[in-house]
Amino acid sequence: MTDTYRFADTVVAVDALYPAVHAYCSAYRCTGTPALTVRITQADIDAERRKSADEDRAEGRPVHAFADDYLETLAVYRKIAEWMPQRDTVLLHGSAVAVDGAAYLFTAKSGTGKSTHTALWQAAFGSRAVMINDDKPLLRIAPDSVTVFGTPWDGKHRRSSNCAAPLHAMCILERAAQTQVVPISASQAMPLLLQQVYRPADPVALAATLRLLDRLTQTVPLYRMGCNMAPSAAEIAYEAMKG
Amino acid sequence: MKLKQEFIAYDTDGLSMLVPTGSAGFAGLVQGNRTLGVILSLLQSETTEAEVVAAMLARFDAPEDVIARDVRRVIDALRGVGALDE
Repeated sequence: MTDTYRFADTVVAVDALYPAVHAYCSAYRCTGTPALTVRITQADIDAERRKSADEDRAEGRPVHAFADDYLETLAVYRKIAEWMPQRDTVLLHGSAVAVDGAAYLFTAKSGTGKSTHTALWQAAFGSRAVMINDDKPLLRIAPDSVTVFGTPWDGKHRRSSNCAAPLHAMCILERAAQTQVVPISASQAMPLLLQQVYRPADPVALAATLRLLDRLTQTVPLYRMGCNMAPSAAEIAYEAMKG
Repeated sequence: MKLKQEFIAYDTDGLSMLVPTGSAGFAGLVQGNRTLGVILSLLQSETTEAEVVAAMLARFDAPEDVIARDVRRVIDALRGVGALDE
């Protein structure tokens, strides 16, 4: 079955084996001529299962037994992320929240507390804050501006909106006893960003991704924040980054 | 030997890195200074360790044994992450 969606201003047709992916993406359904058609086969699902098992083994976790329809959602996003660099767009693992229409993106190693921190922003700023995407937003990186887009791939808490906002600042989050925000350089940010961005299998697409990351780090102010999970961390971070 | 197609050499803001594609068996990064960047650029085409050392000697004012040691260390690291076609 096939349906059409708009992700990061790009119309994508998804031809899936299971209905679950269409329910997952329903908030992004649209009409229009697709720029990309994603077709999933059982081989794509099996590849996701192997990749997931490899990651579990590498992390020393028990191997998850995921259902095919869940793995298909991952396969769909992988194909989209593989193609998106040609639209100056990348997938970055992080949690993006907008306050008064300006987006702030927090990225970190898994388990650091990205979602917990952006939940503090929602608590601190109430209706002024909109959760764009809590796990895997898309970033369109134009020569002089970056836009963050919500996607359905929004993490286990399913926090996201079908919306977009200009990226005002990006922050690498670390756990610390005291909250402290400092500006950092591109070279300080890049090693982690390269771990958090989707790295295409195609070398040409990866080279495009690297050029886009260069542009991103030259366009958007970068910060490193050591923080605890006290409610005041959100306001301290906002005051430091709002400019 | 030369760098595999699944690995891309990347320089930014004084930092040299080797970045694997999503299909490479290695998911981390190899990072270093300008020396790494030069060695990676030499490995874009088929070469030998001796040729890399000779090219580095022509470029950097350092004793041969120091350069040879640095080259060996980098090549061992690249070999360790499966980045070389040999």
